[in-house]
Amino acid sequence: MRIDRVATIARREYRAGVRTRGFWISTVLVPVLMAAMLVLPTLLLMRTRATLRVVVVDGGGGLGGRLAAELADEPGPGAAPGVAPDLPGRPKREEAARFAVEVRPAAADPEAERAALDREVLAGTIDAWIRLGPDTLGGSKVPYHGESVSNFVTQRVLADALTRVVSEARLTEAGIDPAAVAELTREVELETVRVSAEGARAETGLTGFMMAYFLFFLLYMVTLLYGQQVMNGVLEEKTSRVVEVVLTTARASELMAGKLFGICAVGLTQLGIWFATLLALTAPGLAASLLRLPAGASVPSLSLGVTLHFLAHFVLGFLLFAALYAAIGAASNDLREAQQLASGMVILLVLPAVMAVTVINDPDSVQATVMSLIPLFTPLLMLLRIVVKTPPWWQIALGYATTAAFVAVLLALCARIYRVGILMYGKRPTLAELGRWIRHS
Amino acid sequence: MNGNLAVELVGVRKAFDGHLAVDDLSLAVPTGSVFGLLGPNGAGKTTTLRILMDILGPDRGEVRLFGRPRRDEDGARIGYMPEERGLYRKMQVDEQLAFLGELHGLGRARARQLTREWLARLGLAERAKAKVEALSKGMQQKLQLAGTVLHDPELLILDEPFSGLDPINQGLFRELIADFSRRGRTILFSTHVMEHAEKLCDRIALIARGRVVLSGELAAIKRERGGNVWRVAGHGDLAGAAQGLAGVERVLAAGEGAVRLVLADPAAAPRVLAALAGAVEVTEFRSEEPDLETIFVRTVHDAN
Repeated sequence: MRIDRVATIARREYRAGVRTRGFWISTVLVPVLMAAMLVLPTLLLMRTRATLRVVVVDGGGGLGGRLAAELADEPGPGAAPGVAPDLPGRPKREEAARFAVEVRPAAADPEAERAALDREVLAGTIDAWIRLGPDTLGGSKVPYHGESVSNFVTQRVLADALTRVVSEARLTEAGIDPAAVAELTREVELETVRVSAEGARAETGLTGFMMAYFLFFLLYMVTLLYGQQVMNGVLEEKTSRVVEVVLTTARASELMAGKLFGICAVGLTQLGIWFATLLALTAPGLAASLLRLPAGASVPSLSLGVTLHFLAHFVLGFLLFAALYAAIGAASNDLREAQQLASGMVILLVLPAVMAVTVINDPDSVQATVMSLIPLFTPLLMLLRIVVKTPPWWQIALGYATTAAFVAVLLALCARIYRVGILMYGKRPTLAELGRWIRHS
Repeated sequence: MNGNLAVELVGVRKAFDGHLAVDDLSLAVPTGSVFGLLGPNGAGKTTTLRILMDILGPDRGEVRLFGRPRRDEDGARIGYMPEERGLYRKMQVDEQLAFLGELHGLGRARARQLTREWLARLGLAERAKAKVEALSKGMQQKLQLAGTVLHDPELLILDEPFSGLDPINQGLFRELIADFSRRGRTILFSTHVMEHAEKLCDRIALIARGRVVLSGELAAIKRERGGNVWRVAGHGDLAGAAQGLAGVERVLAAGEGAVRLVLADPAAAPRVLAALAGAVEVTEFRSEEPDLETIFVRTVHDAN
């Protein structure tokens, strides 16, 4: 193996790889998607249609007036839930109220009244109406009529307000002070803190979970895509017969090594750009101030340590699959043949995807530990475990060592298939023939 | 074994799925010669060159380059152009050439400099930044040739270098081969067009069905095979008259009003002339150096 020739080939692969339009499109697009994932929930809340015009028909008991007062206090949909709108140092948002309430006394004929109100809804002069009766305190259901009944958030807020009004009325009726009850039954909130060797950091369970899935599927995707890129490159060289020219000076093993290094470097370049963006976006405070997220809203966090583990597992996973893809490309005569052979390999990637759920739910379970130490699955599953809950260091080290050893053996075997296959034209080799190539080359 | 041989094959044999492509083939290409590997389609020329380039392994036999078994670093001393040309289609023309140069052991700066020189020489300078796939077929072939010779190899191995070329590019390729030969390089090329071999080669090997049926210096072969070929011109049915005469081995057409006679023995010439003159009017009867085409057809015919 001559390093200068490997380097020449790797450099060609790298330049060819980073110059494609697809590379730059995906390089730019993924950070945009990542940013979108961070702000989208906030944006969605803001986009909810402004004000619900609701008529409250008060059938007696005085609940209508109290509900109207309660609803008038509701912050508009622009404010993030759970955040006081008049936080010091933060400009108060200009926002429309969530509800415009009109209280009407109940008419004598409930049927005629219902029909008249429904007509108003259909005509669009009001959005919805509800009817409170004397029996509402007794626990009967409150009818809600609206043209759209799928605005769940608004309905939830309405129902919550109604519940508060009704329970206050009930408490008062029972001679209990509602304010004292509110104080005594205040909810307890959990502050989730993920403990890791890098130090504890406040993080909600949901965002940590999202980050784990995101990183897992990112690794899955790049491993698959860059592996297939190797296969396509090998096939291109074979079908265009460039390989005959290259192999007059370079050995097949040098060509394969150069190809793997070059494409791996392309992948690392792209991942480098993505992770730099991600690290910047998730740096404490930065995203919040840039995106004007409310203080306290959590942004998924990413540490440098996890990033380095990700890149290391990418290199191992890439080499593992690229070795197989290179052998498949060399053993095939055209893209169709290669894709048939390669379709069987996707199972090696799908299995860890299925296992991912188990690993995320219980990263220390025996299954998760065993699966993450099987070399074929280590890159994806060990990374997932590291993201969810850092495993013992010796397990991480064992994963790296066994996978590296496995990759070395696999590369040697695949290089043999590659060497014979790359210059073999004609019919597709059988499995028995592939075995002979491995033994005799 | 001769140290002055650039290429030597000894008793090489190669079979594909029971079909014998090359059988007990031996070749000796002296350093500095222009050697033509001739033969009809399917004779085993490409297989022979591929074995030589270590693309195929022979089932039996020995391959020697520069007077010894092939070594890893020999690649940098050889320029090989396969029959089915291969370039990276999406690559820029100048980068493609520089890549091939570097692969053949040139430094980066040197590879780039030679790339510029060769692109200018072949009239491709304006297309230096174009992608290979955007070039015409003829340009791609010139590019392929440039990639083969960029590192100024001692040994050029060209598989059917003239196939698919227009007459202008054929002339250009011939000029280039002649230029390399003048500078003492060894050139081995295969062709099934005898005209090219005749104009360029000083040595040939003729293969048919995987075996060498004739080989040696072109001039010697012509001398040996000459002497018993005669050109006869005249009026009347020359071919009909010559056919079946004692001592006439074969009658070949030689244009309007002429035939070419292959005699079994030069001594039979006077007898044949007398017999012909008795039947038709003969205006010309002379000994002729056979062209390679004639030798080729005869030898292949005899070999079968």
